[in-house]
Amino acid sequence: MHQFNRFAIAAAFAAAMSLVSLHAQQGAANAQNPANAPTPRTADGHPDLSGMWGGGGGGGAVKPDEKGNLVQLTRGRPCSKQQADLGNCEPGINFERDSGVTQRMGPEIPMYKPEFWEKVQDYDRNGTKYDPEFHCKPSGVPRMGPPAKIVQTPTELILMYAQGNVFRVIPIDGRPHDPVKSQDTTWYGDAVGKWEGDTMVIDIVGFNDESWIEWPGWFHSNNMHVIEKLTRVGNTLKWEAIVEDPDVLMEPYHVEGRTLRLNPNAKATLTEDLPCEERDSQHMVTHERG
Amino acid sequence: MKKMFALLAIVALSLAARPAVAHHALQAEFDTAKRGEFTGTLTKFAMINPHVRWFFDVKKADGTTEQWEITGAGPQALRQNGMTRIFSVGQTLKVSYAPARDGSHTGRVVTFTFQDGRTVTMYHEDPNNPNDL
Repeated sequence: MHQFNRFAIAAAFAAAMSLVSLHAQQGAANAQNPANAPTPRTADGHPDLSGMWGGGGGGGAVKPDEKGNLVQLTRGRPCSKQQADLGNCEPGINFERDSGVTQRMGPEIPMYKPEFWEKVQDYDRNGTKYDPEFHCKPSGVPRMGPPAKIVQTPTELILMYAQGNVFRVIPIDGRPHDPVKSQDTTWYGDAVGKWEGDTMVIDIVGFNDESWIEWPGWFHSNNMHVIEKLTRVGNTLKWEAIVEDPDVLMEPYHVEGRTLRLNPNAKATLTEDLPCEERDSQHMVTHERG
Repeated sequence: MKKMFALLAIVALSLAARPAVAHHALQAEFDTAKRGEFTGTLTKFAMINPHVRWFFDVKKADGTTEQWEITGAGPQALRQNGMTRIFSVGQTLKVSYAPARDGSHTGRVVTFTFQDGRTVTMYHEDPNNPNDL
């Protein structure tokens, strides 16, 4: 019994210590979590989305040695243990692009009407032939993802993107869609934004049918309607997009959202993206996985 | 501990981000198990997306000239390294590369050797398993 008590006391002490430790860890994590910073607001009381979002990681830059020699090695996807054990880890066993598998395992994929299943698979299998982005066309909405920089005024939201030096100007003064522009067929569509609580909700129509929703052959019609949402929480920005396209989809598709951190470097700026020129497609022995 | 949590937060946020321009598998275009080599004159250096290009004239033993096109990583890597001005038209470079599978005069650079002996290697950490161009 005496022994048991000693054990019980020791166990209780250990549990208490781990709670204290956990509490300290949580405190440290909370202090470091950019979402716990106060959310800045504009004079009209709305969250201020302005800022450089994401980036700041950088790194990877290597410098030449004193003789001017330089070695820059990219880290590829490592072979699995099973591949290595089987001696299967040589080049050429897998034409799947990096990150392709994880992107295919997303929580949701668009549900196409059955008559389009074959088309989607054909586009997917022949991505390097059909994918507009592979051929240096714009990514379009929503494939372009969240902006890299936002400038917010009381009446406009100016979204800037690093890839392709693209900008979008979204009126947020309560106006409806422009009757002419909303019938246009463009890569970024006709967008109008409004606040719903602390979330900026952007309604977009007037798309072409050339851009893809995402790279695995996910095409859309020119009747696509996208609802894009931006929510600032502290120094983080949550980006979401919902795709409605009753012409080809059976139900709305929720694009996998992303959360960006405010760039911690106050001097961070957008870098000019260089022109894109596709020269690989003609030499590729497979058209898969664009 | 603070540092560890800051690091974890950064890792978590970077996991939420996606690669910028994920392109295609290197092996779909080039045979990474093989190496080719030539010495040629740089005729054009193109800082373009999605991959930087070097164009060469290569004199053959029979007096004829072949045109070669060598590709590498995206331009951002060279910009970050401050390397965008180390190549200039007219330079003679020895080029080691992974050859194209279609037999064309194209390749994925492994190492450039300058005439003064400097070498610039831009390839993959594990040369036996490079998964992206």
